[in-house]
Amino acid sequence: MAPLLAGITFVTFSLTKALPGDPVYGMVAERSSPEIIEKIRKELGADKSVVRQYAGYVTLLAKGELGRSYFTNREVMADISVKFPNTMRLAFAAMLIAAPLGIFLGFISAKNKGRAADRIITMLSVSGISVPVFWSGLLLMLLFSLRLRYLPPSGTGGIRYLLLPALTLSLPALASLVRVTRVTVLDVIQMPFVRTARAKGLSEAGISLIHVLKNALIPVITVIGLEFGSYLNGAVLTETIFGWDGLGRYAMEGIIKRDYPVIMGCLLIGTIIFISVNLLVDIIYHFIDPRVRLHGSER
Amino acid sequence: MKRADLPIFFCLCLFFLSACSTGDRREGHLHVRLNVNPTTLDPAHIVDVTGGIIAAKLFNGLVRLDESLEIIPDLAESWDISPDRTVYTFHLRRGVTFSNNREVTASDFKYSFERILDPAGKSPNTWVLDKIAGADEYLKGKAGSVAGIEALDAYTVRLRLAKPFSPFLNLLTMTAAYVLPQEEVGKRGNDFSAHPVGTGPFILTEWKHNNRLVLERYEGYYDKKAKLKGIVYRIVPEDLTAVVEFELGNLDVISIPASEFRRFRESAKWKDLISSMPGINTYYLGFHCGRPPFNEPKARKAVSLAIDREKILATYYENRGRPAAGPVPDLLRRWASPEPMPYDREAAKKMIRETGLQGRPLWFYVTADQEVIDIAEIIQDYLEKAGLIVRIKQLEWSAYKAAINNGEADMFWISWWADYPDPENFLFPLFHSSNHGPGGNRTRYTNKTVDFLIEAGQMALNIPGSAKSYERAEKIIVEEAPWVFFWHKTDFTLRQPFVRNYKIYPIYSIDKGLEVSF
Repeated sequence: MAPLLAGITFVTFSLTKALPGDPVYGMVAERSSPEIIEKIRKELGADKSVVRQYAGYVTLLAKGELGRSYFTNREVMADISVKFPNTMRLAFAAMLIAAPLGIFLGFISAKNKGRAADRIITMLSVSGISVPVFWSGLLLMLLFSLRLRYLPPSGTGGIRYLLLPALTLSLPALASLVRVTRVTVLDVIQMPFVRTARAKGLSEAGISLIHVLKNALIPVITVIGLEFGSYLNGAVLTETIFGWDGLGRYAMEGIIKRDYPVIMGCLLIGTIIFISVNLLVDIIYHFIDPRVRLHGSER
Repeated sequence: MKRADLPIFFCLCLFFLSACSTGDRREGHLHVRLNVNPTTLDPAHIVDVTGGIIAAKLFNGLVRLDESLEIIPDLAESWDISPDRTVYTFHLRRGVTFSNNREVTASDFKYSFERILDPAGKSPNTWVLDKIAGADEYLKGKAGSVAGIEALDAYTVRLRLAKPFSPFLNLLTMTAAYVLPQEEVGKRGNDFSAHPVGTGPFILTEWKHNNRLVLERYEGYYDKKAKLKGIVYRIVPEDLTAVVEFELGNLDVISIPASEFRRFRESAKWKDLISSMPGINTYYLGFHCGRPPFNEPKARKAVSLAIDREKILATYYENRGRPAAGPVPDLLRRWASPEPMPYDREAAKKMIRETGLQGRPLWFYVTADQEVIDIAEIIQDYLEKAGLIVRIKQLEWSAYKAAINNGEADMFWISWWADYPDPENFLFPLFHSSNHGPGGNRTRYTNKTVDFLIEAGQMALNIPGSAKSYERAEKIIVEEAPWVFFWHKTDFTLRQPFVRNYKIYPIYSIDKGLEVSF
């Protein structure tokens, strides 16, 4: 992981610096003399060469720090440690809705292939993938907040605040899980071992649960892992619509203002999360499918 | 996963879901929407309006503005100005305390002002105070303190200017000139912004980044106390979400998003609860006056003539603004308005042919904001009908700003909002040749006579004197047309029926939150 991180810091640092725009122009707002701009650049260390700036950043990282935001002067680490748990709660909640429901509907759809239930579920899942969250989010808000008055429309807080953004965020993942589950279950159903199980006289429910679903889970878990990894890096649109204080909005604001320490901090944390989630998915594969070995030589 | 692990997993999930919850409304508190998190609440670093709105509730300066934009006493109860307008002596009120209960004295002002000008600091607001004698030397690290800032005794502050500057008192109403307690800044250092301590009518008690800020009334405020118990600022980035929050009664005041304006104005329930205020701002299209083709005033005028600005204002904005005749907003102009440039497509076509503008693509830079893009496309259409080729280039804010500061664009769309209510604020930064680029003069307009007139206005000993110079400067600027002057926008807010004495102010620093009540 260490060489990967070193590579990531180098690539992200160069990309960030290559962006057009200058954070100092944002800091001084609408009027400032060239001397003041130079002075602030010097304070930020932006007058040094990019190589020296990178060296400075790596030294900072080695001390376990992410620096302070150019604009708010707050510690990036402290900000991320507030926003990451929020993002995590949103991601967990969205997955808690999407995963069971998606697998269930996909399974139903596959079992009823070609029938009305399958057609309806397929149609809904296609629209779930196609509808952008800023539209579905606003509709859900109008329904549950304005009309029914069940849930608050925005804010960061407890479960009441969480439900709407989580539901909104879960929709695209829910839809793709339905589709993946349907396809893989249809594949597995035709396998010889399912026929064998039937011939052994097992109940249909037992076959579905133990033989079909378990064997169909690998691609499903891959999709869950990918979606979850991206949720953990923040969901800008959902967070913006519902005023949720997560990593996505934080990173986006950093990018818009060219707040380099914030951008770097978010990218770094994001990378670590993504790698960890993928690692976790690999470990889960091993438990679900004994053919997948953590050590290739073990046989 | 073993079956026994599942319940534990779900318990963990539930724990995450239910962790920390926040209450809804706070009794006696005004709930106001902000669309962004204030960047900082440290007066040395505030450059955004959102920060300024909140800082006005937490801090005070020597003087402040009243609703009619006149300078009135704040922490200084009176002041004397020397006949040559270079020495300002302020007599402080006694018994004014910071919210840590310490009395404000003259040395606090010296400390606070020098903090802005600190050679080791990175305050972008040095321009507010750099007119004071000795500020330059101090900024460059050549002096141990600013010679022109003196605490004569505990209750007298004397500020000496290097040369007369007619809007100087206006500068002192700004965020950067608020007074801060040295001991608190010393204690908090870089984190003063998160724990601001001032003399204002409110105290910050909670700041959940990107979520909300809570202000409580300061009982020891020197003047009459606020009627509200406090103010809750909720950060709601999305306009439509804010409208839903408002309709549910979770917000008491919102500014009306353009898309919802007509609905509220035509609603019997809401139309009487709309407040409006002509804003002190000017929206304009700027030309790069430093290179062809727009170094020719005739070419700039041709573009100006080709656009029907009043029509755009009437249709696209449903007249939520006033047409601009020149750069100075109508509220600040103490002289007759210049003759606005008419809309005349035929005359424009003729001038375009004469100047050879046709046939070459003109780059029009705009920010990637839907409203701005709409306006840019309307302008593009007008100009193409007059025979020009216009290429729109959208950039997001940081890249856009760097591009126009560096003079990449032939034409660009931007606005200017008052820092303080003096015509000088709409002339010196925007048209004086010393401010090319990031100083504010992004058109790189250069005219020695205009420079001289603006400087004369700054040095004038009285308001009529400065107005005379500014009037002449504005006349020349309108004739030479470095901008196409579009409009001054009007702000609209909507309040709940139970909010009383609510007012909308032309400049955020005026609003100390003292009058509004339930």
